[in-house]
Amino acid sequence: MQPRVIQRILGLLLMVFSFTMLPPAAVGWIYGDIGVRPFLDGFLVTLGTGLILWWPARNVRRDLRLRDGFIVAVSFWVVLGLFGAIPLALAAHPHLSITDAVFESISGLTTTGATVIVGLDVLPKSILFYRQELEWLGGMGIIVLAVAVLPMLGVGGMQLYRAETPGPIKDAKLTPRIAETAKALWYIYLGMTVACGLAYWLAGMDVFDAVAYSFSTVSIGGFAPHDASMGYFNNPLIEAVAIVFMLLAGANFGLHFFAIRRRSLRPYLEDSEFRTYFTVLAVLAAITVGYLYLTGHFGGFGDDFRHGLFQAVSIGTTTGFTTSAYHQWPGFLPALLIFASFIGGCAGSTGGGIKVVRFLLLLKQGGRELMRLVHPNAQFAVKIGRRPVDDRVIDAVWGFFAAYVATFSIIMLALMATGLDQVTAFSAVAACMNNLGPGLGSVGENFANLNPIAKWLLCLAMLFGRLEVFTPLVLFTPGFWRR
Amino acid sequence: MMRFAAVRRILGVLIAAYSVTMLVPAGVALLYRDGQALHFVDSFLVTLTIGLVMWLPVRSTQQELRRREGFLIVTLYWVILSAVSTLPFHFSPHLDFTDAFFESVSGFTTTGATTIVNLDKVPKSILYYRAQLNWLGGMGIIVLAIAVLPLLRVGGMQLFKAETPGPMKDEKLTPRIEHTARALWAIYVGMTGLCILGFWAAGMNFFDAVCQGFATMATGGFSTHNASFGYWHSPMISAIADVFMFLSGMNFALHYIALRKGSLRAYWTDPEARVYVGFIGASITLVTLTLLLTHTYSSFGAALNYGAFQVLTVVTCTGFVNTDFTHWPVFLPALLMMLAIVGGSAGSTAGGMKVVRVQLAVKQCVREFRRILHPRAEIPVKLGRNVLPERVVSAIWSFLAAYVLVYLLFMLILLGTGMDWDSAFAAVSACFNNMGAGLGMVGSNFAHISDAAKWTCSIAMLVGRLEIFTFLVLLTPMYWRR
Repeated sequence: MQPRVIQRILGLLLMVFSFTMLPPAAVGWIYGDIGVRPFLDGFLVTLGTGLILWWPARNVRRDLRLRDGFIVAVSFWVVLGLFGAIPLALAAHPHLSITDAVFESISGLTTTGATVIVGLDVLPKSILFYRQELEWLGGMGIIVLAVAVLPMLGVGGMQLYRAETPGPIKDAKLTPRIAETAKALWYIYLGMTVACGLAYWLAGMDVFDAVAYSFSTVSIGGFAPHDASMGYFNNPLIEAVAIVFMLLAGANFGLHFFAIRRRSLRPYLEDSEFRTYFTVLAVLAAITVGYLYLTGHFGGFGDDFRHGLFQAVSIGTTTGFTTSAYHQWPGFLPALLIFASFIGGCAGSTGGGIKVVRFLLLLKQGGRELMRLVHPNAQFAVKIGRRPVDDRVIDAVWGFFAAYVATFSIIMLALMATGLDQVTAFSAVAACMNNLGPGLGSVGENFANLNPIAKWLLCLAMLFGRLEVFTPLVLFTPGFWRR
Repeated sequence: MMRFAAVRRILGVLIAAYSVTMLVPAGVALLYRDGQALHFVDSFLVTLTIGLVMWLPVRSTQQELRRREGFLIVTLYWVILSAVSTLPFHFSPHLDFTDAFFESVSGFTTTGATTIVNLDKVPKSILYYRAQLNWLGGMGIIVLAIAVLPLLRVGGMQLFKAETPGPMKDEKLTPRIEHTARALWAIYVGMTGLCILGFWAAGMNFFDAVCQGFATMATGGFSTHNASFGYWHSPMISAIADVFMFLSGMNFALHYIALRKGSLRAYWTDPEARVYVGFIGASITLVTLTLLLTHTYSSFGAALNYGAFQVLTVVTCTGFVNTDFTHWPVFLPALLMMLAIVGGSAGSTAGGMKVVRVQLAVKQCVREFRRILHPRAEIPVKLGRNVLPERVVSAIWSFLAAYVLVYLLFMLILLGTGMDWDSAFAAVSACFNNMGAGLGMVGSNFAHISDAAKWTCSIAMLVGRLEIFTFLVLLTPMYWRR
């Protein structure tokens, strides 16, 4: 533990983060809405706090170590989540309580997309832009977390990706490697955002909406500047664009990196996680569309196909855009879609959930168990692609799965203790922990009507989900603080 | 090649032997003159014939049973015996095949979920027959859990191979199972006798005492009254049930060792038993305190009476109720449904995932934390003083993951049949864990759900009882290949 190093990094992060409050202020100024002041205040407070933290520790030049990594990763989301709430809490319209502001800010930074604000369409543009920007920034953080930090921390079996991470490999020194990886991946992220925004604009959105939606699409966030989310436009072309970019953003960014460097699509085709990801979404979409068609929900195959496909991709990748009130869809569909969000996006993407690669490993392990029952004396290896997977990785994935289920159940029971019914509690935890966004029951449209305790619990769920459960939990073990 | 002749032979014998048990309710019918006696005799004859038809052509086969046939026999044992047990239900209370099959499976897997709406009006012999189904099911489960599953290595249960009473020979199933069965059934019968005496002394009439005694020891949960244990309003009777549910939720091998050594040390030194006690203690405390804090019951005595009973009945997956817990405040109903997922000890008649598996999962998680902090350290997972082999650990993990996935799958199917979320969640919890008590639409019985839902629940009960993999392995092509 090196408190001084951590202090320096947090200070720097806060100072950098404070500048992100200036673009919304500029948006407010351009559109002439009342919402400029809160952003300037937020900027000054955040910058000031950052300076105070950084200044005394500015000359500390020691390297970050493994354990510091856990604290930095957790405090990145917690501290930025809290400071990010400042402009939202200060703004006169919408008039949010501290709880609501923090919920909204954490929901943005973890790219969850659950909102407590009703009446998005009449909000000042600056606030709307800020929410989208929070998701986009959160997405940047997540890519680095997922591709560079978690594999090195060895959380939940992600050491699997240690060798594949772009950039130089030096296990002990975090900083140079993370800087290198970050630069490469952010270019891709930025490029995807621009492409997505352009496509939206060409498909018929105005400039503001195109920028706003592109931010929350490539970050797999799901915030929208309209209450009706993607359904506001009622435009199949826009939905098609969204589907393509959600699919891309839910794939491992390491793959994008290799595909671009080699100028070939082969990295995608050869990657068994990507193939599983695609298959899961295809099956999910087929079931959804088929069931909608059989029950005649929209009364025509065209509409069933359009809404079914969109919703399956949006929820399967844990984005959370909606084109239709899916929580009122017939039969098992709402539950199926919520369950699918547990699988989530690929490792190394901005998606949430337990991640496709872990799901794949669980399935393969289950298959191996069946083979072992029939042939008890044979040796079977679990393989990803052509490489056998280390037993340690498999253990870690199992541990992750169990911790995920246990954390989920505890938060769900706690929510029910605050008076929520079971459907609402279950889907609210699923929506938050999988960083999905919309739930079922009374959180089908938004989270505004929950009690404050429930909102704080859900903030916790979003953080636990985003930090892959073990990263925050490890801070609570006595072993961590022992030297 | 699968040795079908040997499979037929043993199943035929089992069915023929089982048919004899239908004569007991016939006797009960004569005793109470409820007019059902002939129906049971008919059922007996049909069942006996089926058994003989299966057995006679292959009676002299020399094929030895192997491990591999075990999966098929175990699965067919539960399916076929459940199917023939439906016969008496056709006559009275006139259940159709769906309901009758549900009722039989529920009895045989010691689930205790019922499709009969008004139990108090059902003939005595039928009530007795249901209790007997539970009890016989329990006998089968003890052998399954202690002797068969460890041999088949399902879900990491090879862990208990060394502890199983009886000689150790991996490939020949029969002698070992016979020996184990005899030792454990003596205990089972003895404890049932004590339980019946206890109920009778505490004020039940003799008939009720026998029926509840059967259902309690089997952690079954079929009752002779609609109100289940609420019928007697007696804390004393509830307390006796508490004790016997607690005992039958423990590993029967422990009872065996404790009796043979004449000491209680076997219980204290067993890591699973300790966690089992701790888990039940903590759950009772939580439920009782919540009941008091929410002013559901005014006195501590009442809260403890109801709280302890409901916790024990769901943890051991018995499924009795002594009060309407479905209307308990806040998270309690859902919590109880979740406790059933943990379930009782391995080697008992209880359902659920089993304490030892959850315990090992927790240990593994703790190891993960330590591995994250010390990536290069070798940290073994231990149960008691024994280091667990990697195979057992991975088998248990697969079991837990399969449990969760199959649970969600059943829930989706039930939602598809038109059930609401709460009812579907509770129905799967009740059936898949072989627990029996549900919430919502299935709060008091399973009579009013659709036929599709009933079949789904019946399958859930069977798959849960067969610890998933026994059944799943039959679906793999590899199993049938030579």
